[in-house]
Amino acid sequence: MDDLTREFLIESQEGLDRMERCLTDLEERPQDTALLAEIFRSVHTIKGTTGFLGFKRLEKLAHSGESLLGLLRDQKLTANTTVINALLQLLDGLRAILKTIEAEGNESDGDDDVLIGWLEELQSPTRTEQPVSAKTGTPTVHETAQSKLTPPMPVAPAAPTSEAPALQPEDTRSAAVPAASPADLAKARAPAQTAAESTLRVDVALLNRMMNLVGELVLTRNQVLQATAADPNLTMLSRRLDMVTADLREAVMKARLQPVSNVFSKMPRLVRDLSQALGRNVRLDMEGQETELDKSLLEAIKDPLTHAVRNALDHGIEPPAARQAAGKVPEGSLKLRAAQEGSHVIIEISDDGAGIAVEKIRSKALERGLITAERAGQLSERELLQLVFLPGFSTAAQITNVSGRGVGMDVVRTNVEKIGGKVEIESRMGEGTTLRLRIPLTLAIIPALIVRSLSQSFALPQGALSELVHIPPDQTATAIEWLEGAPLYRLRGGLLPLVFLDHLLMPDRECKLAADRDNFIAVLDADGRRFGLVVDSLADPEEIVVKPLSAVLKEIGLYAGATVLGNADLALILDPSSIATRVGVDLSSRDDEAEKAVENGSENETAGMRYLLVEAAGRHAAVPLSDVLRIEQLPFSRIEYVASRPVLNFEGQLLPVEDAGGILAAAEADPEAQIVVVVCREGERHVGIAVSHVLDVASGASLFEAGSRARTEGVTLLKKRVTGVVNLGAVPPLSAAEAAPQQWPEVAEALS
Amino acid sequence: MSYQETSSRRKQKSETLAEICSVRVDKTLFGVPIHHILEIVGAARPRPVPLAPAYVGGLVHYRGDVLTTVSLRHLLDLPPNSAKQDILVLESAGGCFGLLVDSVGEVLTVSSVDYEPNPSILDERRMTLLAGAYKLKDNLLVMLDPERLDPMRLGGVQAA
Repeated sequence: MDDLTREFLIESQEGLDRMERCLTDLEERPQDTALLAEIFRSVHTIKGTTGFLGFKRLEKLAHSGESLLGLLRDQKLTANTTVINALLQLLDGLRAILKTIEAEGNESDGDDDVLIGWLEELQSPTRTEQPVSAKTGTPTVHETAQSKLTPPMPVAPAAPTSEAPALQPEDTRSAAVPAASPADLAKARAPAQTAAESTLRVDVALLNRMMNLVGELVLTRNQVLQATAADPNLTMLSRRLDMVTADLREAVMKARLQPVSNVFSKMPRLVRDLSQALGRNVRLDMEGQETELDKSLLEAIKDPLTHAVRNALDHGIEPPAARQAAGKVPEGSLKLRAAQEGSHVIIEISDDGAGIAVEKIRSKALERGLITAERAGQLSERELLQLVFLPGFSTAAQITNVSGRGVGMDVVRTNVEKIGGKVEIESRMGEGTTLRLRIPLTLAIIPALIVRSLSQSFALPQGALSELVHIPPDQTATAIEWLEGAPLYRLRGGLLPLVFLDHLLMPDRECKLAADRDNFIAVLDADGRRFGLVVDSLADPEEIVVKPLSAVLKEIGLYAGATVLGNADLALILDPSSIATRVGVDLSSRDDEAEKAVENGSENETAGMRYLLVEAAGRHAAVPLSDVLRIEQLPFSRIEYVASRPVLNFEGQLLPVEDAGGILAAAEADPEAQIVVVVCREGERHVGIAVSHVLDVASGASLFEAGSRARTEGVTLLKKRVTGVVNLGAVPPLSAAEAAPQQWPEVAEALS
Repeated sequence: MSYQETSSRRKQKSETLAEICSVRVDKTLFGVPIHHILEIVGAARPRPVPLAPAYVGGLVHYRGDVLTTVSLRHLLDLPPNSAKQDILVLESAGGCFGLLVDSVGEVLTVSSVDYEPNPSILDERRMTLLAGAYKLKDNLLVMLDPERLDPMRLGGVQAA
């Protein structure tokens, strides 16, 4: 294929994407001449260029469309549903031909007479007076799964829209052509590309290579920094190198970001087609379209999002009559919302439909043998909702082409988890369902905790890590309990199944804690399956660059990739959910936290932030869990004072210790007294907080000030108690230590 | 006459010369055509991968990527070498991988005239791994074909 044709293809696809967006808008504002002009321009450009390149079939089809659009533009015709349906078919027809050209280099033989005939028929004024029903006799052109093998398109009169064949039974002309699966459909849609004048097209492969090279540079920088640390002459230079490298890395990562509108823009058409096919009346609202996400991740969420929207329309939003009977407005509402939250992008799909009947899930899961009868009785509402993600689960009474094949929610979860994301579901009977996809900002770099076992480093993705448990040497003998050969750890009253990393990787090793040194348990949560991973030691958290593994190592199934650490060591990235599967941890052995949450009665637990609940001098205080790096128990003698300010020499770094609760002052008398310091991250620096005890980890709910909807700052509802949140930002940096007063009022307030 | 005939046939064949990088594993001299070699990484210590197939020598960091290496010693049933080994970064249809060898020698120019296919007395395993040999003056240069050493392919061989 020559450059000219390739350029033409990209341009035309962009034009058609624009046209698609305009068409769905046109339905709402049929008189909008600007929209009509835009659509006319897209088709006209294709027609113009195509004649020049000699694609006769494409030209003919574009021409008939153009004539119809001309009438619309000149206000000789109104854009009613029939006309828009025809134009959408025209769009699909043009796309299909473009696809063939892209794949085969020529447009292949095909017959678009039916579509052309229909487009021409619409142009004659007598016909348009009696609009054809959208559901009958709609000749449709759609690329089906088979058309990849046989020349596409020519079957136009026989091919039903793959989205709605079941609902066109009166269409006698439609032959039984199997519908394309959603995945095929998604593939058939050209990738959206919005190109302003100031932008440049860059090959993704080039961006990937740049990312690799930057990763390499980061490593080299780390080594240079280590090598030059002793030489004062080079310190300035290497610091500069450090900064430039960090900026460069960020810039390259940014270059890979695309707005989610690239995927969202496909949804109005999908919702329109589906609601027509299903007889629903749906209003689609989209929010946060400018939120940006890595290109590869954007590709990866396309399918799950399509699935979720299908589900919402098919199972969620009821037909208008049913809605009215339930006392709702006939028009259903579907909301798509994207927003960045820290290092994640949250995508919410919420509908105001019927919600999910948990009892139905329970009986369905029993019927399909997904859970035992005994288990079914024990599951809480929240746990039951999780079952919809199990493979082969579908509550749809009858299998429609839209959804209900038992693939759907599990596909959503698998696809999202594949890219390191999470799926949450919330549903209330009669009020609606919200599906929340939590996607990491970028695939390439993830925060991870480096652990050691078998004298090797391994990386654990922070996303799956809920807490760390330290077992000092004197407790190794008693820390673990055994139930018929299964190691368990008693964590706050619940039993946590344990996996010994060394035994997992070298099966001839014994499952045993080393008695002569510290042991650590990393408590992991792999999509609701909780277990503890026993490792030899912990290193610091690091932002790691994920490198793919060769197929032969991927087959082992325990590793999600490999990475190069700051000290140039290689580390394998462990995949918590594969480990859970390998050792057979399942939902039924999740700990009691879910039940506890239900007991506490705060149903919005999942929505709240998680806090570390600490006690200092008899008072409770909360520290945002995301900021907590470590909990250190150490003798008071480790605390030193700089200008009467307590500091801790923490792994070679000086850590200011906040003592608003007066813990240190009380311990002063006895240098051997054990104190607990919570090491937290505050922006770029780390600070320590002295506390008496660490009590628990819990989700906090926001509080609203009485009479207003304003969220209160600095306090949260934790375990039904109003608890102050420690303001880490109020801890002054060490350099200001001399000038700072002894007490920092804001922190003291939170701790008291 | 018959001699002349073979001689002329020989002449026709001898027109192709190949550049081969020689590597040593234990006492044997092996050869890899240089156009398959992307780079030679000296004195590396690959990071072992627990639970990986035995022929995998571990992972090495190579130009921003993580390469899987294949231990030639293991493939030939030789005891593992605790010293640092050299790595040939090879390109095959399935992508890049590293081949762990004891040491890398010089590049030799050989003529196709001196080529002999695998002798039939080789055991089945070596038959699939080796790709014939060139007769050098004093010894044999046993040829390796990167395609046959690709970790993914070896995975298939081992499973069979």
